[in-house]
Amino acid sequence: MKRFVYINDDEASKELCCDNRISNRKYTLWNFLPKNLWEQFSRFMNQYFLLIACLQLWSLITPVNPASTWGPLIFIFAVSASKEAWDDYHRYLSDKKANEKEVWIVKQGIKKHIQAQDIQVGNIVWLRENDEVPCDLVLLGTSDPQGVCYVETAALDGETDLKTRVIPSACVGIDLELLHKMKGVIECPVPDKDIRRFDANMRLFPPFIDNDVCSLTIKNTLLQSCYLRNTEWACGVSVYTGNQTKLGMSRGIAEPKLTAMDAMIDKLTGAIFVFQIVVVLVLGIAGNVWKDTEARKQWYVQYPEEAPWYELLVIPLRFELLCSIMIPISIKVSLDLVKGLYAKFIEWDVEMIDQETGTASYAANTAISEDLGQVEYILTDKTGTLTDNKMIFRRCCIGGIFYGNENGDALKDAQLLNAITSGSTDVIRFLTVMAICNTVLPVQSKAGDIVYKAQSQDEDALVIAASKLHMVFVGKNANLLEIRFNGSVIRYEVLEILEFTSDRKRMSVVVKDCQNGKIILLSKGADEAILPYARAGQQTRTIGDAVEHYSQLGLRTLCLAWRELEENEYLEWSVKFKEASSLLVDREWRIAEVCQRLEHDLYILGVTAIEDRLQDGVPETIETLRKAGINFWMLTGDKQNTAIQIALSCNFISPEPKGQLLMIDGKTEEDVSRSLERVLLTMRITASEPKDVAFVIDGWALEIALKHHRKDFVELAILSRTAICCRVTPSQKAQLVEILKSCDYRTLAIGDGGNDVRMIQQADIGVGISGREGLQAARAADYSIGRFRFLKRLILVHGRYSYNRTAFLSQYSFYKSLLICFIQIFFSFISGVSGTSLFNSVSLMAYNVFYTSVPVLVSVIDKDLSEASVMQHPQILFYCQAGRLLNPSTFAGWFGRSLFHAIIVFVITIHAYAYEKSEMEELGMVALSGCIWLQAFVVAQETNSFTVLQHLSIWGNLVGFYAINFLFSAIPSSGMYTIMFRLCSQPSYWITMFLIVGAGMGPIFALKYFRYTYRPSKINILQQAERMGGPILTLGNIETQPRTIEKDLSPISITQPKNRSPVYEPLLSDSPNATRRSFGPGTPFEFFQSQSRLSSSSGYTRNCKDN
Amino acid sequence: MSSTAASSTVGGGGSSEISGVKKTSKRPKYSRFTQQELPACKPILTPRWVILTFLVAGVVFIPLGVICLFASQGVVEIVDRYDTDCIPTSSRNNMVAYIQGEGDKICKRTITVTKAMKHPVYVYYQLENFYQNHRRYVKSRNDAQLRSPKEEHDVKTCAPEDNVGGEPIVPCGLVAWSLFNDTYSFSRNSQQLLVNKKGISWKSDRENKFGKNVFPKNFQKGAPIGGGTLNISKPLSEQEDLIVWMRTAALPTFRKLYGKIETDLHAGDTITVLLQNNYNTYSFNGQKKLVLSTTSWLGGRNDFLGIAYLTVGSICLFLAVTFAVLYLVKPRQLGDPSYLSWNRSAGGLQ
Repeated sequence: MKRFVYINDDEASKELCCDNRISNRKYTLWNFLPKNLWEQFSRFMNQYFLLIACLQLWSLITPVNPASTWGPLIFIFAVSASKEAWDDYHRYLSDKKANEKEVWIVKQGIKKHIQAQDIQVGNIVWLRENDEVPCDLVLLGTSDPQGVCYVETAALDGETDLKTRVIPSACVGIDLELLHKMKGVIECPVPDKDIRRFDANMRLFPPFIDNDVCSLTIKNTLLQSCYLRNTEWACGVSVYTGNQTKLGMSRGIAEPKLTAMDAMIDKLTGAIFVFQIVVVLVLGIAGNVWKDTEARKQWYVQYPEEAPWYELLVIPLRFELLCSIMIPISIKVSLDLVKGLYAKFIEWDVEMIDQETGTASYAANTAISEDLGQVEYILTDKTGTLTDNKMIFRRCCIGGIFYGNENGDALKDAQLLNAITSGSTDVIRFLTVMAICNTVLPVQSKAGDIVYKAQSQDEDALVIAASKLHMVFVGKNANLLEIRFNGSVIRYEVLEILEFTSDRKRMSVVVKDCQNGKIILLSKGADEAILPYARAGQQTRTIGDAVEHYSQLGLRTLCLAWRELEENEYLEWSVKFKEASSLLVDREWRIAEVCQRLEHDLYILGVTAIEDRLQDGVPETIETLRKAGINFWMLTGDKQNTAIQIALSCNFISPEPKGQLLMIDGKTEEDVSRSLERVLLTMRITASEPKDVAFVIDGWALEIALKHHRKDFVELAILSRTAICCRVTPSQKAQLVEILKSCDYRTLAIGDGGNDVRMIQQADIGVGISGREGLQAARAADYSIGRFRFLKRLILVHGRYSYNRTAFLSQYSFYKSLLICFIQIFFSFISGVSGTSLFNSVSLMAYNVFYTSVPVLVSVIDKDLSEASVMQHPQILFYCQAGRLLNPSTFAGWFGRSLFHAIIVFVITIHAYAYEKSEMEELGMVALSGCIWLQAFVVAQETNSFTVLQHLSIWGNLVGFYAINFLFSAIPSSGMYTIMFRLCSQPSYWITMFLIVGAGMGPIFALKYFRYTYRPSKINILQQAERMGGPILTLGNIETQPRTIEKDLSPISITQPKNRSPVYEPLLSDSPNATRRSFGPGTPFEFFQSQSRLSSSSGYTRNCKDN
Repeated sequence: MSSTAASSTVGGGGSSEISGVKKTSKRPKYSRFTQQELPACKPILTPRWVILTFLVAGVVFIPLGVICLFASQGVVEIVDRYDTDCIPTSSRNNMVAYIQGEGDKICKRTITVTKAMKHPVYVYYQLENFYQNHRRYVKSRNDAQLRSPKEEHDVKTCAPEDNVGGEPIVPCGLVAWSLFNDTYSFSRNSQQLLVNKKGISWKSDRENKFGKNVFPKNFQKGAPIGGGTLNISKPLSEQEDLIVWMRTAALPTFRKLYGKIETDLHAGDTITVLLQNNYNTYSFNGQKKLVLSTTSWLGGRNDFLGIAYLTVGSICLFLAVTFAVLYLVKPRQLGDPSYLSWNRSAGGLQ
């Protein structure tokens, strides 16, 4: 579990024998061909076709030239292999560039210039400002006297703020010259990919320090791909190199996600395979019987009396080869091509560009666009995903006094400004905590202004607010903080930082006032993490009420507190803190325990309230998607009341009386069990009522529910359209996604931060928002968008179109293959069941590859409904969610059509070209022509919107068919010499073609018209309305009674009684969200709003599952 | 089908109007294709257009059917089945033995011309239940050997008719070996009718598929003998009986051209046919027929196309009438939003 890195010791490092060569390649020059072949033939489809191709090499059984399968197979393999080779070559170039970059290292006390790939573990590496870190280093020295340097980690975690890194305490004071000669050992974990953790120890050898163990953390490291900033130079010892770095361990080819549609296509392929086996068995047996009875009478065939043992297998295998065309060989390539284009359409969409940042959407995963159209559950983060993640300080409560009540902005509150001017002690302390109880880094900009680099938007908001209230955080120099207040500069020395963690839910700093030498602890955190540790005797009820009040307003709250420390107390505690920091086992827990010993007897100063505004368009997006039958779950680490208010303003739930919230709470198993049981009972009752019910659960109760009552919770999850999960951890978010997936729902997870990565990767579709907290979510996601509101377009337009187009493409591919195959089967009955192919090999090969492939690719620009229609009637997405366009039933329709068309082509051909016309090549070409004409008309009939490209591809394909065959007919050595010339000069040929088209398409056209007019689907109705150009009038209740604003903002029903704050105000009356939800009576949006409530009561999503 | 042009123009999407703070170079290039806004025609199935389509189809198909039927009826065709009648009565219990036995098998048939036949009158032989399309049979040939004397040893696909005594058979294979060998001579009123056997094969076959320097060799020298013999002094390109026979028939019932009679035959004429009944169709219950036929622009006599056109046309008219009646009796308004379920549920809750 550990490894030892010896600093500056080449001999000791050799046993680790890992240089810094970076390799992202999948192949080498030598193993490319076998490895790629192995990969391609690991797929069932390719294995199947390889088997067919090998069987065809046996001339005794092959009905056609082996080229008819080997040709397409080799072509498809070559296309895939070329793509893989191209990708891998680019990886090679990228690796080469990184590996050959020059860096400075120290060898035997001398600086040397080497290539990055030659760095060994234990080498001391020197960096200059703006250099990229070539491998994972432990920092040893910097140009800064305090041993601090700054790194930019955007390439690693997407965060653009500078982070501070500090040398280990053991290295403090070491002279520059001695750094070259430094020797020691670092005891560190085996390589892993956690970029937020590095728990290690370092021991320097004499003469530096006598065996003093020094603890190391992630703050002492420079990780690969970071950039050194604002620092002249830094040096460190390499601890992880090559693909063992944290970045290298994180790399890896993601497991491909399979869409519901891919699974359905696989099932249909399996069904066709079974059908094929049955046909082969029947024909094989019939062929053998016919051979033993009738064929021996046919003297001209000269069947031998005695046959080898394998003779029984010959005819069945021959029919297997003849019927192998049932599974279209081109379907995989076609699907891959169109999926790539779907992804491009998403990236090209100008309506999905975030104008503010210029960020276009990006599809990292090109294989799952169809699932976007089948989404049933959306699990969304809140902060930064639904909200802007642009925190603004709004209100506060200091010493029992509320500020910012009048206009919702404490910065303009005259009372607060007066308190600051008059030097109120509590207010000054409050502002001090706001200003320096953080990890913010003030940076002087070129214009002289102070810009704050903050890792957390909360901290950023507090520091900025403090500066506007004249408590300006102006400088930070290693451990020294400078604050300017009322013209005077106050300095503090930072003694210790007690980090914020999700479990502790608070952070503290220990500072020494440089003026009076007092040691002070400053804390901030969640109310449940601060208030219980208040000084004995302090009355915290008012502060608790303030927290409650601000949460009701949808604001984020933090409690601020402080206390003075005795020097002895601090020194004693400091020893324990350093001791805990050195542990390799359970370090985090031990540190939390030690921090707890200091964070007590706090004097509670007050509460801050920060607004996290909704992004534009979020309520409308959620409303539309809910009307589309998509259920929304909010998973947030935030507190419950804040989450509820955001959910209300987002249209997650309707306000009372239509909406109802059910709470699952409790700290013990009995409490959670009772609460869950009650909520489940209520949910069962209301499942059949037109009511909008959601459940609310926090992380603690969720943990208990999943551990002890998983079955009940799963039932509740299925019954719920909406859920609000508060205070949940990233792993709990992923667990919730897993629960919904295990119930066979298609899930989409959307988030913007690192804590969303787990659920984004777990979901069927992961969507990341490129936000202010970095790009971790966007990097890990299948799709990244700039704003939440683009989700509507991603699903309703791109998802729906992708689903529709793939449904057509896959079923059409089977149709055309089955069509030609049925004709071969019919022909076998009139060729002595001997396995003769009616078509020649060239025609069969060209049929699959050319004749019937081009028209279908243009289906990728087909639109059954315009984008505006879908946006107006999002309920139409139900057809995609329910799989209404690709399922065994629709597939049976295409199967029946191919059988019908095969009968038409075969019967007409053999009767029109009978007697003196029944020459094999001519009759085969007539049948093939019939197939080409029919498939052209089928594609035309199934096309919804004809653009120039559609016409070119459909009818141009027909012309291409004749051009190719005229070409073959002109080659004397081909079997088709002069065939097409003879046929096209015969009137009977064209009359036959016309008859085939009329007889084949007439009944199908009639059936389509009848369904379209007398049994229209919802899609047909919208198509008719759209194409007739009239306005789509929505029937429904016209709201005759005018609504008042108060009704819109009526408080939601919470089953637990709550104490009202003495300073209670109308709910959300000051929030900008309130105006967004106010609509006059009779506006068009009102109709859709009522439709949403009514359609949710129909519960067709659940009915879909029941069906 | 009626149609409405749904083309749309988005002028506001130009990059010059975007006032984003960051203008990245990765901004997608704007075009109608990338925005999926190509102008498109979206047809709609209205009753008027559908009924009119079926009506037009019926109006087109029925006359076409009549025309095809007339063309077919205009062909004069005489079919004479002779395989059973040409076996002597005493040998009909074992016809295979008779056909395989030695001896002259001349048979005399009388055909009465019921309708005038303008020249040329095509003479076909028709075989039934003969599977020229059987896989084993159809593969047993080598086109390279037929084309070039240098390839005469290329007989690997011709088994079992590939070699005799170690020497290659030219032409090899089951197809050539089973060459049809009945012959016919015609006379009218004791006057010989000349049958022109030149030009009965495809010109492309004579010029490209069968070599001018390829002569029969070892043909029908082995046992058993399957069919007719060839003139070893003539190249294959001039042996048109062989060329006709080796054009594979796709169906088990087929006709092949024997020759052409270049004089008119008048109604009431009596044609006497002297034929050599050599070919064995008795093993597999086949049939042999002699066919005299004229031709038309549609080919030989074949009522199928005419009947099929009339049938399809009638069905189209029937559908047109049915849809018209349905439209009058049960009119449906297209695009009625009241049928959308999310609007219906609104009504249901009233």
